[in-house]
Amino acid sequence: MGRDSFSTYHPAVNFLYFAAVLGFSMFFMHPVLQGIALFSAAVYSVTLSGGKAVKFNVIYMLPALFILAAVNPLFNHAGMTILFYLKNGNPVTLESIVYGIAAAAMLVTVMIWFSCYNKVMTSDKFIHLFGKIVPALSLIFSMVLRFVPRFRHQIQAVSLAQRSIGRDVTQGNVVHRARHGLRILSIMATWAMENAIETADSMKARGYGLPGRTSFAIYRFDRRDRTVLVLMIVLIAIVLAGAGMGENTMRYFPSMRMKEQTLFSGVVYAAYSLLCMLPVIIQLVEELRWKYIVSRT
Amino acid sequence: MRTLLASLLILIVIPATIALGIVVLDDRNYYFISLLIILYTMIPFAMVFESRKPQARELIIIAVLTAIAVAGRSAFFMLPQFKPVLAIVIIAGVSMGAEAGFLVGAMAGFVSNFFFGQGPWTPWQMFSFGIIGFLAGILFKKGWLKRSKALLCVFGGLSAILIYGGLMNLSSVTLFASTFNKEALLAAYASGIWFDLVHAAATVIFLFLLSRPMLEKLDRIKTKYGLIER
Repeated sequence: MGRDSFSTYHPAVNFLYFAAVLGFSMFFMHPVLQGIALFSAAVYSVTLSGGKAVKFNVIYMLPALFILAAVNPLFNHAGMTILFYLKNGNPVTLESIVYGIAAAAMLVTVMIWFSCYNKVMTSDKFIHLFGKIVPALSLIFSMVLRFVPRFRHQIQAVSLAQRSIGRDVTQGNVVHRARHGLRILSIMATWAMENAIETADSMKARGYGLPGRTSFAIYRFDRRDRTVLVLMIVLIAIVLAGAGMGENTMRYFPSMRMKEQTLFSGVVYAAYSLLCMLPVIIQLVEELRWKYIVSRT
Repeated sequence: MRTLLASLLILIVIPATIALGIVVLDDRNYYFISLLIILYTMIPFAMVFESRKPQARELIIIAVLTAIAVAGRSAFFMLPQFKPVLAIVIIAGVSMGAEAGFLVGAMAGFVSNFFFGQGPWTPWQMFSFGIIGFLAGILFKKGWLKRSKALLCVFGGLSAILIYGGLMNLSSVTLFASTFNKEALLAAYASGIWFDLVHAAATVIFLFLLSRPMLEKLDRIKTKYGLIER
């Protein structure tokens, strides 16, 4: 599997997608919609990271699903259909077990969506999106991202210099080592602050904060971005309309009741599936197109 | 304007969200609602900071302190909960003021999760770290928190258990338990207490070792470059 095609879309498209699927997954506790979301999240995570995602989903997410589903009935005693009583006299109900499964599925879905989010919404995309709304905070954010590896590098340099005068963390007894470690950190911190002030002055000298300055962005809002964005907005609108009609949730307590399935619920399910599977579909289409146009000589 | 927006958020938007949770979601979806409320509470801080048009020097000091906290967290990643973030955040709050304390805390929570993985816990961590930095700044300004090691350590340990632990355990209840009652809360606090104790111990140790040299360094920078005292 090569690169993920959806990741190359405009950050706004990526962000809207994850905001929508994450919000909907946390919101809708309807078995069909939850099934769609869990399935799509799992499939997308596998398209993104291949075998690693399969491992993550099976080793961590599957047991988590079972444990969480089993824990809920111990704390939740609402519901009409009493199955049996616990030793402490509290009842275990069918509703609480089913609800526990639904809640666990929701949590696992959100976790898997976040694992995809971490892959797709990289920090540079985040800065690009929020740089206009919160410029100072996004600047801090990007500086921190740069400083962390830089500080690690500098700690190496300081530590090597200290080693040459016998004051590294690998030299001396335990007390000496600890003291040397603290000294290295202290040198590091002083250097970091001095260096930071210099950077700030340099920024000021180049006109940081003056009006009329633009910033470089590698992202362009193309026609394909517009197409996908419009499609996503239509799908989100349909799903929200479904939410407004009460199609997307079900009642668990005191007794379970689901709204009757109509033609419209079918439309909502279709729209939701299409929305959740959008990146996978885009990937498939791209791959088919590539297969079709690649020259066979 | 700012206070108006902040009070609008607190008086109208938050109750409206809770009402939405009760009416539309049948008061079952605690996680979504609590997540929204936590996000709202951070908006006023961001707005105040942005509308002040902060200077480059101020930005970069906050960035450096945040980076130190993040690098520190990743240096001790193999010891769960043994992280110096809270100590750095408290030092930042005491030395640079309540607002900087909040920003360093919230940013450290946010950025470190780019290395450790974002998740539904991120806003909670941001808020918990941030509010402790904010409190440290406020208490220092009021004179209740001094620059003495002992006081800082006591504050650090207590805030790690009561505020950070209190909020994070609450978040895991809204996240995992799906029902909200006393039993689930007690279970979460009981299972979280060891992590909180380790975190508190880490905070106290780091404050004991770092508070004086770090505060001295920050003072030196402030005097040397004439950063405005607020």
